[in-house]
Amino acid sequence: MKSGALLFLGVAAAFGLSFAGIVIGSNAQLGRQAPFYDDSEGASFPARLPGSAAAGQLAYRDLGCASCHTQQVRRAGFGSDVDRGWGDRQSVARDYIYQPYVQLGWSRTGPDLTNIAGRKPSAPDAGDLMRLLYGGQGGMPAYSFLFEDRKIVGQVSDDALKLTGRLEPPPGRQIVPTDRARELVDYLLSLNTTYDYPEAHPAPAVHPAAEAHPAPASGGEAKK
Amino acid sequence: MISAETHSPAAPAAVRPDSDSGPGRCVLLFMLGSGMLWLVLSAILALISSIQVHSPEFLADCAFLTHGRAQALAETAFVYGWIGNCGLALALWILCRLAGEPLRASKWAGTGAIFWNLGAAIGLAGIAFGGMTAIPMLELPRFVQPLLLASYAAVALAGVAAWTGRRREVMFASHWYAVGALFLFPWLFSVAQVMLLWFPVRGVLQAVVAGWFAQGLWTLWIAPLALAGAYYVVPRVAGMVLPAYDTAALGFWCLILLGGWTGGRHLIGGPAPAWIATVAIGAAVVLLFHYIVVFANLRPGFAGGATSLRFISFGVAAYVLGGLVDAITALRGVAVLTQFTHFDEAQRQFALHGAATMMLFGTLYFALPRIAGRSWASRGLVRGHFALYALGVLLLAVCLGTAGCIQGDALNDPKAAFADIAIMTRGWLLGATAAQILLLAADIFLAVNFFTTLASAPEGGDREGAP
Amino acid sequence: MRAPEEHDPRLDRAAFGDDQLVDAHEKALGPASDKHAQYKLGPLVLLFALSGFVLYSAMYVIHYSGHFSPQIFDENAVPSSSTAAVKADPIAQGKRLFNSAGACFTCHQPTGQGIPGTYPPLAGSEWVNGPDDRTIRILLDGLTGPVQVKGTAFPGAAPMPSFGAAGFNWSDEKIAAVLTYVRQEWGNKAPAVEAAKVAQVRQQVGDRKAWTQDELLQVK
Repeated sequence: MKSGALLFLGVAAAFGLSFAGIVIGSNAQLGRQAPFYDDSEGASFPARLPGSAAAGQLAYRDLGCASCHTQQVRRAGFGSDVDRGWGDRQSVARDYIYQPYVQLGWSRTGPDLTNIAGRKPSAPDAGDLMRLLYGGQGGMPAYSFLFEDRKIVGQVSDDALKLTGRLEPPPGRQIVPTDRARELVDYLLSLNTTYDYPEAHPAPAVHPAAEAHPAPASGGEAKK
Repeated sequence: MISAETHSPAAPAAVRPDSDSGPGRCVLLFMLGSGMLWLVLSAILALISSIQVHSPEFLADCAFLTHGRAQALAETAFVYGWIGNCGLALALWILCRLAGEPLRASKWAGTGAIFWNLGAAIGLAGIAFGGMTAIPMLELPRFVQPLLLASYAAVALAGVAAWTGRRREVMFASHWYAVGALFLFPWLFSVAQVMLLWFPVRGVLQAVVAGWFAQGLWTLWIAPLALAGAYYVVPRVAGMVLPAYDTAALGFWCLILLGGWTGGRHLIGGPAPAWIATVAIGAAVVLLFHYIVVFANLRPGFAGGATSLRFISFGVAAYVLGGLVDAITALRGVAVLTQFTHFDEAQRQFALHGAATMMLFGTLYFALPRIAGRSWASRGLVRGHFALYALGVLLLAVCLGTAGCIQGDALNDPKAAFADIAIMTRGWLLGATAAQILLLAADIFLAVNFFTTLASAPEGGDREGAP
Repeated sequence: MRAPEEHDPRLDRAAFGDDQLVDAHEKALGPASDKHAQYKLGPLVLLFALSGFVLYSAMYVIHYSGHFSPQIFDENAVPSSSTAAVKADPIAQGKRLFNSAGACFTCHQPTGQGIPGTYPPLAGSEWVNGPDDRTIRILLDGLTGPVQVKGTAFPGAAPMPSFGAAGFNWSDEKIAAVLTYVRQEWGNKAPAVEAAKVAQVRQQVGDRKAWTQDELLQVK
């Protein structure tokens, strides 16, 4: 290549293609995705995060929780996400439209958290989450700096953690969550993706056994 | 052993320094020196982060170094501190050498370098104090990123001046890669900033743009900076024309055309539309051609025993192997096993440390004597650096990779509890920590050698010496 | 080239100068001398490799692209019939409608037993299990006045509201779904109701006020 200008333009054009395709293209498709309005329930899904939960997401973000926890459930059959009860269905784009800073995560040293508040048979409650954050468990470190160790003056605080065993504070002291811990737990309790959007349940690929009712020809017959 | 060999009377013949003694030289040495310090810092932080994975109670009480932040700190220090300084400095140097001119706009470059380092330091403090953005490769707090962008522009100005002001019309492969890298980083960085931090896009698009940025940063900034150095040093030291040079241009364009599409591989199975991941997988497969071309061109480096060739050939081998593994793990059938595991991390570390950094080291070993006007101070530290780093990289890749495979297998079994997974992988993660210790030691060797070299007296630059 | 001494790792000598480097490579790009009329195999192999990669990649992308639709998250999905899934299960939809806020379950109870003396039961009711024309009309326009269900009289102090245009304005599909659900739940065994039938009845009846039991009994 001799011409400098050609190199520059060439690089700009070549890279511009991927920029246009991925960034601009996906933005055109999903940039204004609206919530889904359900007639029978008379509400639209997903709901926006309540204020405390939005603040909690900032805490989740700056503590770097995404380095060990993901927030994306893969479809049934692709990994064990659904079998583990992390969600009833694959996460879709609409689940995240009202998350101010999407935290999909990139590593699963710990479990997925997409639907932690909607888990069946029982979702953890605020007390469980607080205890988990304070004491850590298995591979999860203890986030004791999110809590205050206070002297009990008069009555025990309503917010004080109910701890047992080695975590229990000495007599006369209580462990109280700070505002950040409260917000973080509120955020975790807002993570609920149980609503069934239409795009979350596509029709499966045509099986050879379904020959009796031939579907319109589409690219479903040859599986990988 | 080391002290006997530093300043030994049998030092190699003097080096004729570059014609740009003075401000240009100072700027380059400043950038390289800062890069050394950032490298050591990032190695320390990576060690902390690695220990925390298998022993979560390590520094758990310290909010500044909680695992999420420690990991972000290590990555930021490495990418923006080490690669941002050393990679850019070497690219500038190569452009100047090929242009046949001293470093122009050195005041701009110097100011830019100072503010880049300042911005990175403030950014790291910001991450530690709780302002990080949790976007891979872009964790710096939002307020410091425009400063980095502006500083980069100032530094890149010197590079562009060297390129446009070249005495000869003809360009060489290093030109393409260096100019490509200089130009593409601001595009990637500014778009990512705007679309993720200043005017965040809606929902999953944040993840799409973040994936595009992170993968783009590797394929279109870090790898080209490393390759610019490799393409320059290998023929110069090995003394032969690159064997497949007629295809080198094709390999370059393949990288630039396809590098930006591969970001979607992080969204396989995720909540983004399937086409994004599919296109990324397709691009990753065609990108194999680029790796083949790079290998075909840089194979003379494997024959030499020279220091720089040893480092570069290790880097090239790692780069090509990494590219192959990238393409294989991009396929969905494999991704279902390796996604979200330590294997992904192993790939990343192998690419950043084993491929790019080794190539930059090779270029550094060739360049510094010519910038500073004196040869490296210590023989032993050079050899020690290579041995420790190579061993560390291989150990890291093997340990994290195996831990990742075990973890991936267990994750796909619905009955395996996370506590059990932690126990199964603990041994391998301890091995990974050992590897981080080796890498830290190697980095310290390099830094000591570097600063000792600068501190030693120049060897009479007027004598006829190595070109 | 060089004396076979050990390289000193502290300094690598360069064999080419910068200008020589660029020139030598530029020459390498030029036309090769064709003395022996040979061609090199290397570039041909590379070309084949590139073509192979491009072919594989293109086939992969086309097959798994999901038609580049933003609604397709599963690369194996069949986009053209994806809307069919929404209507896949009228019973589930009907159950959701029955139990939705302010709807059927508030009076007839989730168990379908109703409240004795006020709201008639649906479980085992001859109205529910009978001709669908009657139940469709009840839903479309409501029911007023006393009614007899399973031998028990209900005075009709709390009339059944309309779920048609005059009342909650449910669509044909919703009315069909909830009726289909009710007609197979709690031991009821009546055939499903089609949305088309609801539409037909709606058109046939037109606008009217709530039905009484006698009027309904005349409908077959």
